[in-house]
Amino acid sequence: MRVYLLFLFFLLIKAISAQTIISGTVNAQNDGALTGANIYLKGTYDGTSSDVNGRFSFKTQKSGNNTLMVEFIGYESFAKEVNLTGTEINLLIELKETFSRLDAVTITAGTFEAGDKKQANTITSLDMITTAGAAGDVFGALQTLPGTTTIGESGRLFVKGGDSEESQTYIDGALVHTPYISTAPNTATRGRFNPFMFKGTIFSTGGYSAEYGQALSSVLLLNTNDMPTQDQLDISVLSVGPEVAGTKLWGKGAITATLTYNNLQPYMNLVPQNFEWKKAPESASAAISLRQKTGKTGMLKLYASFDDGKFKLAQEDLTQEKMVDFALGNRNMFINTSYRTALNKNWVAATSASFTADADDVSFDGNQFDKALKGFHLKQTVSNELNEKVTFRGGGEWFSRSVEQSYQTVADTFVNQYDNNTFAAFAEAEIYASKRFVTRVGARVEHSSYLKKTNFAPRLTAAWKLNETSQFSMAWGWFHQNPNDDFLIYTNKLDYERADHYILSYQSAKSGRTLRTEVYLKDYRNLVKQNSNEFFVHEIYNNAGSGFAAGLDLFWRDKKSIKNGDYWISYSYLDTKRDYRNYPELAVPTFASKHNLAVVYKHWFGELRSLAGINYIYSSPRVYNNPNSEKFNSEKTLTYQSLDVSWSFLYRQNIIFYVAVTNVPGFKQEFGRRFSDQPGQDGLFKSSAIVPGSNRFYVIAILITLTQKGIENQLDKIQ
Amino acid sequence: MKTSFITLIITLIALTGFSQKPEYYQAMGESLGQYASCKTPEDFQALGNRFSMIANNEKEEWLPIYYHAHCYIIMSFMEPSDAKKKDSYLDVAEKSLKQLETMVPGEAEVFALQAMLYTARLVVNPMERGQQYSMLIGQSLGRASALDPSNPRAKLLKIQNNMGSANHFGKDPKEFCGQATDLLAGWETYTPKSQLHPAWGKDQAEELVRSCR
Repeated sequence: MRVYLLFLFFLLIKAISAQTIISGTVNAQNDGALTGANIYLKGTYDGTSSDVNGRFSFKTQKSGNNTLMVEFIGYESFAKEVNLTGTEINLLIELKETFSRLDAVTITAGTFEAGDKKQANTITSLDMITTAGAAGDVFGALQTLPGTTTIGESGRLFVKGGDSEESQTYIDGALVHTPYISTAPNTATRGRFNPFMFKGTIFSTGGYSAEYGQALSSVLLLNTNDMPTQDQLDISVLSVGPEVAGTKLWGKGAITATLTYNNLQPYMNLVPQNFEWKKAPESASAAISLRQKTGKTGMLKLYASFDDGKFKLAQEDLTQEKMVDFALGNRNMFINTSYRTALNKNWVAATSASFTADADDVSFDGNQFDKALKGFHLKQTVSNELNEKVTFRGGGEWFSRSVEQSYQTVADTFVNQYDNNTFAAFAEAEIYASKRFVTRVGARVEHSSYLKKTNFAPRLTAAWKLNETSQFSMAWGWFHQNPNDDFLIYTNKLDYERADHYILSYQSAKSGRTLRTEVYLKDYRNLVKQNSNEFFVHEIYNNAGSGFAAGLDLFWRDKKSIKNGDYWISYSYLDTKRDYRNYPELAVPTFASKHNLAVVYKHWFGELRSLAGINYIYSSPRVYNNPNSEKFNSEKTLTYQSLDVSWSFLYRQNIIFYVAVTNVPGFKQEFGRRFSDQPGQDGLFKSSAIVPGSNRFYVIAILITLTQKGIENQLDKIQ
Repeated sequence: MKTSFITLIITLIALTGFSQKPEYYQAMGESLGQYASCKTPEDFQALGNRFSMIANNEKEEWLPIYYHAHCYIIMSFMEPSDAKKKDSYLDVAEKSLKQLETMVPGEAEVFALQAMLYTARLVVNPMERGQQYSMLIGQSLGRASALDPSNPRAKLLKIQNNMGSANHFGKDPKEFCGQATDLLAGWETYTPKSQLHPAWGKDQAEELVRSCR
């Protein structure tokens, strides 16, 4: 009864107070009604939400001066003084969109970003690993993206009409001097790094920021994983050898140690090979990865790896018309470290450094050819978010490179070497005019101690968001790179090579579907020319070369139309010619395919606990030079085609079986012909076809993860 | 009948704290009463707005922030397809949860809700987020049950997640049916600390048991 009385008492209070009705409409500035906006009187419990038409109305007992608040996610809060007198108040309220970089326009010209954070990513880290034909190789997976050309006899990245050495790879900001493993001439290589070391990847096929120099065509930025989350032991047994990795955590740090041994001998005994191997490729490597958190925001990362590999095969010497042995031994040490910390509320500093020592010992027909490289890179960057719309970045770099090549025949020894230190500084500002328009303006200066020359490179990018789903981007810039080692060991009377990029790109992404188109023009100048075959004479080199590359890239990704299925299609059209090195004239280079197509499909079969992948790669015929022909680079290779499949089966949550086969239909693959150095007695150069090591490649693997809980798996390791 | 029952509860709740913060208890009681009538994401947004308004007035109370986050997580589950929208609702919920973590660091309900948030994140894209978020869910649930081993919401989310991942990996989710039945049977034995404290979850537990039949 008392309860009832009190309840009445409430009602009574309500009845006797003067009531004011507040009503109105909430709209977005330059846009329609906002549904669900929160409207209330500050410091009271009186309020309501706007309906589907943005309309609202509520009553209040309060009187006198009050503040009316209107709030909605993604919009700036609105406050208005109202005087409550009992007369109805009607308001038309317009909310202004807040600026948030997360959903603001991003620069996409030339850039493919892979990470797990954002929905808008065109490809993710997982894609890097689960692409069928890539067989767990980062560079292999990137060759399914537009702007790249698959060059079967190289395996390296060739981007938008650029040579492979025009692409650079960075790990946590520091340069990787030797990203690829050493292989025999005309055989495909792979990356040195395991793709699941990386949490994010940015692949820029042009127009990149002033932070990156010494690359004419592209930069690949790999960011390693942060702190592991638990102690674990990973055991992988592949058809080419075993790998064991152990992770141990402590307070604010963690260490992972990895041992890998590969030997292709047992595999090659089973699968027919096109080469005559005297000693199958064998390699052993050890790697250590260290993570340490410091203070509130600091993170120190260290990665060190040691590799030792060797092989021997018999190749036909076309000049001498006999089989000769080609043996290679490679030792590689790589250390990469980075430290990142917030200096204060606005400034963030990042230091990264890498050191590479690489030695190739090649013996060929009794001659010894050794190449040693010592590389060092140190980079310091600072960045400051001056305000929510403007970010400044700047920094300095020191690249050191020391190369020694020695050639030893029965009679003689020739040693050539050079040391170079390149110092660079860069600065750039990223400025959002609004949520829809951003520009990035930057510049870079480099000085080489060996070339004794300085270059200046301006860069400019802008992006304009048309609506929620689509945007335009453009990029322009000058890009410089030191000439190739093979020239610098003979001369320093050379200038930087240069490429100017012009890129225009359009991207539309809507709920699981992404379309990208890009047109570009690259203008090459100052390319190194070699005017005679006497490569050891320094006077024959100059920077008189030039060239161009123009093209169209298309990318379509659809994660939505097929349930549990996901596919992407990349197509690139490339038109390019250049006059460089020993080319007699402006000609299509040997690494350019006019048409490139990649179709990648993945399907998750829940009941079978399996992820299946299939992909098809097509590259139109390339040119190669036949010295028996009058015309330079006039012969055509076969079309390149490959259809690859993979199957990953989750046996237990911590045990995965994996099988992959490349070139299932057995498309004939041939990458042109190689010719003898000297013509024979009939005046003709002898030749033989360049073919891959085998017609198909098979991978079988078992991946086991052991943890205390025993449930962690290597799903993200499926290759 | 049901309405008058709810009115009675609201009044009771209002009375319990009447001496100190009558408006707070009344507003909370009314808002909690609205849960049952929320059908669409818009309804939950309006309710979330209520809780946000209450939170603005009562800076020391964590429950309005808790329910605000809860409403936005539900909105994310209700959104049919737009992944960007789902994530934007969860961004709002995550902000509230971060606030709660420092406000009431020893509250099991907060970590249980955090597990629910991570589940919602995972659901947006299980293929890509599965690995990362199933681990985070495990961590949050671990913390929740360490703080309060009998918390039924932590148990509920654990069973839901186990069944979900069993489905994903092609195993039989029925192996968790026993746990679900036990949870439902013992639901009423857990007494929330006050009438304003979280009590939700019985419907979902019933649903789990139903799915087992």
